[in-house]
Amino acid sequence: MASNVSLKGKEKAGKGSKSSEERSAKCVKEWSTWAMKKAKVITHYGFIPLIVIIGMNSEPKPQLYQLLSPV
Amino acid sequence: MGSSVSHAGAPPPSPAAAPPPPIPVGLAAALPPNTEVQGDAKGVSEKVDWLNLPCPVAFEEIQREALMSLKPELFEGLRFDFTKGINQTFALSHSVFMGSMEVPSQSSDIIKVPTAHYEFGANFLDPKMMLIGRILTDGRLNARVKCDLTDNLTLKINAQLTNEPHFSQGMFNFDYKGQDFRSQFQIGNNAFYGANYIQSVSPHLSLGSEVFWLGHQRKSGIGFAARYNTDKMVTTGQVASTGIVALSYVQKVSEKVSLASEFMYNHMTRDVTSSFGYDYILRQCRLRGKLDSNGVVAAFLEERLNMGVNLLLSAEIDHSKKDYKFGFGMTVGE
Repeated sequence: MASNVSLKGKEKAGKGSKSSEERSAKCVKEWSTWAMKKAKVITHYGFIPLIVIIGMNSEPKPQLYQLLSPV
Repeated sequence: MGSSVSHAGAPPPSPAAAPPPPIPVGLAAALPPNTEVQGDAKGVSEKVDWLNLPCPVAFEEIQREALMSLKPELFEGLRFDFTKGINQTFALSHSVFMGSMEVPSQSSDIIKVPTAHYEFGANFLDPKMMLIGRILTDGRLNARVKCDLTDNLTLKINAQLTNEPHFSQGMFNFDYKGQDFRSQFQIGNNAFYGANYIQSVSPHLSLGSEVFWLGHQRKSGIGFAARYNTDKMVTTGQVASTGIVALSYVQKVSEKVSLASEFMYNHMTRDVTSSFGYDYILRQCRLRGKLDSNGVVAAFLEERLNMGVNLLLSAEIDHSKKDYKFGFGMTVGE
């Protein structure tokens, strides 16, 4: 990620028209988009397992077979 | 949920020492009755404690009684739901649906796509925290989280995540409940920000308003709502700057029967709809039916066959578009 930032910095310096505030705003926007994408993937795969884990650790503690059996 | 129409200010039975029979209204039953006239249309001779009004219903639930009666979850095809409770707080649910789903189309033709899916869900219901997750076979996840951060502050998260990019939606709501008001702040995807506020101004009347701002389309709007309810009826009105006027009226005719009516006018599309419906809550079944000004007749029956086993029958007949939808299903478990 640091090399990405410095590469972008060099490109912008090469164009000579962007200010440092615009550069940092763009970086923040990029990283927050990256973070949102990762958060979406984590939620998509992990939300239901999270509920199951919280449920299996609640009182009174259920047994594992109760998860799978239809009775 | 139940059959009670009025949420705010359900009155406790009045004490035996009351003078010639006043109808207990809100907080008035708890205070010593006197002969001061309140200015109420009913002429009830009780004093209203203006500093102690009941907490109003949340802004998005202002039309809750009308929606419950007039908009049951109609479906077409087969539906089977099985909820297995593992714990007091934890339950798993399995649901199968086979039938046609309507695809919204621009022309007036109805496009139905036959679909079948299996949905697995897990619910965790705590007094302080509620987590509900449902995942379908096509990869869509519906997640709902409701967490009581403090006594008065609640966080709600609602999300639909899909595998296709840019189709996912999410919404964060922060609710603050005061003594006689409620306020809510919403943040959603596509840079959606909204806020609403509702205040009780009398034991029966509450007024509210909302504003929202949609970043991606640079749209904003403001709306106002009012709700007047007594033990026997609820009437609401809503006006929004998006050009929508919605009015509803629900009358609780008896313990088992409610009648509801709704009127909606959309100024932008010049669309007017009005509907009338009934809601029978009987011992073994719940029957809801409605008749629309668009020529739609619908009915929905939930019959309790046995402890925890419910039969569902759904019918929706659209005479103007010649669209007939019938569905049947079963729900096992709570």
